[in-house]
Amino acid sequence: METIIQPFDFKQCISILKSTGKRARQLRELRRGIEETSRQSLYHHTYQYFLKGHLLEYTNDFAHWAGENLGERVLAEHLSSVDPYEFSDIHDLRLKLLNVIDRYLANFPEPREVMPGGDFHFNETITMVFPMGITAHNLAEFLIGIRFADTGSLYYHFYDARSRQGGRDDFSHWFGEVLAKTELAEKIVAIDPFMHTMEGIREHIIEAVEETVRKDMGVLFL
Amino acid sequence: MIGRYSGIAPKGDLMLLRKLGERLKGRSFLHVNSTRAGGGVAEILQRMIPILTDLGIEARWEVIGGDEQFFDVTKKFHNALQGKFEEISDDMLQHHFEVNRINAATLNLEADAVLIHDPQPVALIEFKKTGKWIWRCHIDVADPIKEVWDHLKKYCTKYDAAVFSASKFARAMPIDEFIIAPSIDPLSDKNRDLSEDEIRETIERLQIPLDRPIILQVSRFDRFKDSIGVIKAYRIAKKYNDCILILAGSAAADDPEGELVLKEVKELAADDSDIHVLLLPPFSDKDINALQRIATVVLQKSLKEGFGLTVSEAMWKGKPVIGGDTGGIPLQIIHGVNGFLVSSEEGAAFRIRQLLNNPEMSKKMGARAKEYIRTNFLMTRQIRDYLSVWYSIESKGQSAFEL
Repeated sequence: METIIQPFDFKQCISILKSTGKRARQLRELRRGIEETSRQSLYHHTYQYFLKGHLLEYTNDFAHWAGENLGERVLAEHLSSVDPYEFSDIHDLRLKLLNVIDRYLANFPEPREVMPGGDFHFNETITMVFPMGITAHNLAEFLIGIRFADTGSLYYHFYDARSRQGGRDDFSHWFGEVLAKTELAEKIVAIDPFMHTMEGIREHIIEAVEETVRKDMGVLFL
Repeated sequence: MIGRYSGIAPKGDLMLLRKLGERLKGRSFLHVNSTRAGGGVAEILQRMIPILTDLGIEARWEVIGGDEQFFDVTKKFHNALQGKFEEISDDMLQHHFEVNRINAATLNLEADAVLIHDPQPVALIEFKKTGKWIWRCHIDVADPIKEVWDHLKKYCTKYDAAVFSASKFARAMPIDEFIIAPSIDPLSDKNRDLSEDEIRETIERLQIPLDRPIILQVSRFDRFKDSIGVIKAYRIAKKYNDCILILAGSAAADDPEGELVLKEVKELAADDSDIHVLLLPPFSDKDINALQRIATVVLQKSLKEGFGLTVSEAMWKGKPVIGGDTGGIPLQIIHGVNGFLVSSEEGAAFRIRQLLNNPEMSKKMGARAKEYIRTNFLMTRQIRDYLSVWYSIESKGQSAFEL
C-alpha cells in the first residue's frame, strides 16, 4: 500500500506595525519600557527582528538602538547576545533583557540621551498568515517552492516556527519527521539563525536539499 | 488590473491582497482628502481606487471643498504640525470646523470603512454615521506645536484608528495607531519604463542640455523642501565638478505659500544659466519620470518631510538619492547602502561629488535602491496594509489572523 506523505504547504506572514505611543530617550526609559510593554511588543522587537531582512550587526531592536542611537557599543553587544529562542516564556526573555541593562547601569549609572529624533519607539504588530499556494510532496518540489517563496515565507517557516513549535523550524521538522531525512534535518538545524541574511538562509537550505537529492539520485542510478 | 503587477510586486503582497479582497468583497471603502491634483496623497488615490475596485471592493474618493481662508488655516495647521509656530485664532479653528460641516452635508460619507486623509477633513468625524473611521496622517508630526496638535487630537481620538507614515510620528492616543508607509505605483506614468523617444521628447521640449551630469530635485516649492539649500549645495559641488541643476516641481491647489517660495528660488538662480527651474503643470508625470531617468544624482534635501515619495520614485529608477535625514526619508534610504542621508548643504555637496566621481559605486547603490523599493514601497504593499488594518479593526483585540 502506498504511504500518504503529509505535504509541505508554504505559508507566509506579513506584519503591519502598530504603535504603542510609548518611546524612550535614554537607557533608563528603555528599561522601563521593556518592563512595562506588552508581550506582543516585546515579541516584535526581538523575535520579529529578522523579518526586516537586511540587518546583521545586531539581533534585536534594543541592541540596534543601543548601538546606533545611544552609541553604547558594549551594551549593544551584550543585548545582541541574548538568544530569544532560549526562553520558552517571553516573560523570562523580558527578565533577561532587564538583567543585562541593570548590569550595565550598575557600571554606567548616568546614561546619555539620544540626539533629537533618535528615540526608541515601542511598537507591536498585527500579523497576517496566509498560504502561498505552493505545496511540496517531495524534495524536488520543495526546491522549486523555496526558490519561489518571498522572504516573508522563509521568515515564517525558519524563524517564527521556533516560537510556535518548541524552538524548531518547520523545514527541519518536515525533513526529519515526515520525509525521514534525518541527516538533512540536522543540517538545517545547524544553520545559525543569527548569522545570515534571509537570502543567505535560503541559499544554505537550497544547498543542503540539493546535496541530499544528488545523493538520492546517485543511489538510484548505481 | 491587479494581475498587471505580477512579476513586479512581491508575490506575497499580491497573494494577501487577493485573500483580503475575497473577504472584503462588495463592501464599501471611502477615501476623503482636500485636493484632486498635486501632492503625494492625490497621486496615490488616483492609482489606488481602480485597484481596490478590481479587488471587488466598492471604493470611492471624495474631495472636500473650501474657500481661501480655509486653505490658509489648513496650511497653518500643516506648518504647525511640522513644528513651525503659526498664529491660529479661535475664529480660524471655528472656520475649519464650519467648512467641514458644510462638506459633511453635501458629501456621501456612508461606507463600511472611511479613510480621512490629513488635517483638512479631520473634523468630518463629528458627522460620522456608519462604518469604521480611520484618520490617515501623511505629515511629519514628530515635533508639532502643542496647541495645534491638542486641538486636532480632539478629533483624532474620535476615530476608530489612526495611521501614520513612521513610528516617530505616532502620538500617545487612546485609539489604535498603525504605521503604514506610503508608496509609489510602478505602472503609473510617473514610474513606468519609458521609451527613448518619450525621454527625448521631454528633454527637447524642456530644453535640458545633456552635455554634463544632471543634479535633480523634484518637489513642491515649499520651504521645508529646501530648494534654496539645494542651490547652495550645487554651487559648492560645481567648484569641483561641472554639472547642471534642475529644480522641478508643481504648485498644489491647497498650498498658497508655493508662489512666494518659487519667486525666491528664481531670484537666487537668476544669474546661473545652468540652473533650470521648471514649474510643471499638474499631471506632468511623464516629464518627471523622464527627468528622474536622465538625472545622474537625485536630491531630496528636505528639512521636514512627511514621507518624501519622490525619493522612492527616483530609487525605483535605479538612482542613488541624497536625502535629508528627516521624516520618512531615512525609512527609504539606508545610508551608504542604497543612497546617502545628509543634514547640511555641505554634506549634500560632498555626496554629490562622491557620486559624480564614482559611477560604479553609484550604479551599485542604484540597483540596491530599486530592489529596496520593490520589496517595501510599491503601492500593492500599501493597499495590502490598508485592507489589513480595516480587517483587523473589525476584530479588535486580535493580533494574528490566518487567512
